[in-house]
Amino acid sequence: MTDKNPISPHIQIYNWHISSLISISHRITGIINIIIVTFIFFWVAFLLLGNSNYELVQKFFEGYFGKFLIIGTVWSFSFQILSEIRHMFWDLGFGFELKTSNITGLLVIFGSLFLTIFIFILGRSLFI
Amino acid sequence: MVQINLPKNSKVQKGKFYKDKTGSKNIRKVNIYRWDPSSGENPRIDTYEVDMDNCPSKVLDLLNKIKNEIDPSIAYRRSCAHGVCGSCAMNMDGKNGLACTKPHKEIKGDINIYPLPHLKVQKDLIGDLSTLYKQYESVEPWLKVSKKDGHKENLQSIEDRSKLDGLYECIMCACCSTSCPSYWWNGDKYLGPAVLLQAYRWIIDSRDEDRKERLKKVADELKLYRCHTIMNCTNACPKGLNPAKAIASIKKMLATG
Repeated sequence: MTDKNPISPHIQIYNWHISSLISISHRITGIINIIIVTFIFFWVAFLLLGNSNYELVQKFFEGYFGKFLIIGTVWSFSFQILSEIRHMFWDLGFGFELKTSNITGLLVIFGSLFLTIFIFILGRSLFI
Repeated sequence: MVQINLPKNSKVQKGKFYKDKTGSKNIRKVNIYRWDPSSGENPRIDTYEVDMDNCPSKVLDLLNKIKNEIDPSIAYRRSCAHGVCGSCAMNMDGKNGLACTKPHKEIKGDINIYPLPHLKVQKDLIGDLSTLYKQYESVEPWLKVSKKDGHKENLQSIEDRSKLDGLYECIMCACCSTSCPSYWWNGDKYLGPAVLLQAYRWIIDSRDEDRKERLKKVADELKLYRCHTIMNCTNACPKGLNPAKAIASIKKMLATG
């Protein structure tokens, strides 16, 4: 085939399924998690440099953007962990039937939301 | 390489509109991807109004009706019309499948028909599958036995035979491979679900004596491990097979030795 021939539309027209949606989210949350872990290290280092920094950090996390960041982080990690467990079952050779994979997919989505709320509330009641 | 956007010459334009001439009240709009190699223009979407009162049940019937009664210039592959040959594989309503087994009743709203995704288009709904066929050839899809027993009956137990169920039914329509994002981005190196399912079909065959070599050949970062279990393949397969599971089985065999 020459370069003259067009390439047929792909991602532009293809329907999203639960599995494909989770697959791409798994990758995106994976990248986000690496960035977040890096930031957590910076945060810890920042606190080590003096206790006046502590108040600054505290203020930041009490604002809307700070809260969004925390909740986003908790969700991103929850999603990644649940999805990874799903992948591990796949690697063992289980859960490939369409129905099963759709159910486990939904479990990952709703489970991650549930875990987010659970961890956030647990964290608040433990540390505040 | 991942290229999300279509190249310049592949951008789809608005095409012609074929208004219904029968005066029927039961009308559906059918949008079809068109590309004429002789025109030098970009691909376009032509819209046809089709009288559904006089149209049989499948998408292929719909295409035949359009070709026979409205626009004879439209090109698509078809042969058996019973889901056995795999010629009429195309993308209907955002999902790959066989036009001859897909009822148009299942599609809501306008019916959108495209060629199989991310292939070089030869004309209209016909995509170029030569890369896939070359990859198929590379897994040597035939039984390999040592010569000395060549004239004897090659027996297989019922149990061993049942391992081929869900594999031998594959008709190589390429619905799965062309639904796979990994195959879209790395189609030249990654073998894709269809070919890997075929590779597994020969790896798992108890009569084949080349299992080790076959496994060694397929164990490659790009050939096999580009599969990230996106499961689009299993979702697309018109024969209800499970390429994702076959690929996972190969990975498992390689991991457990």
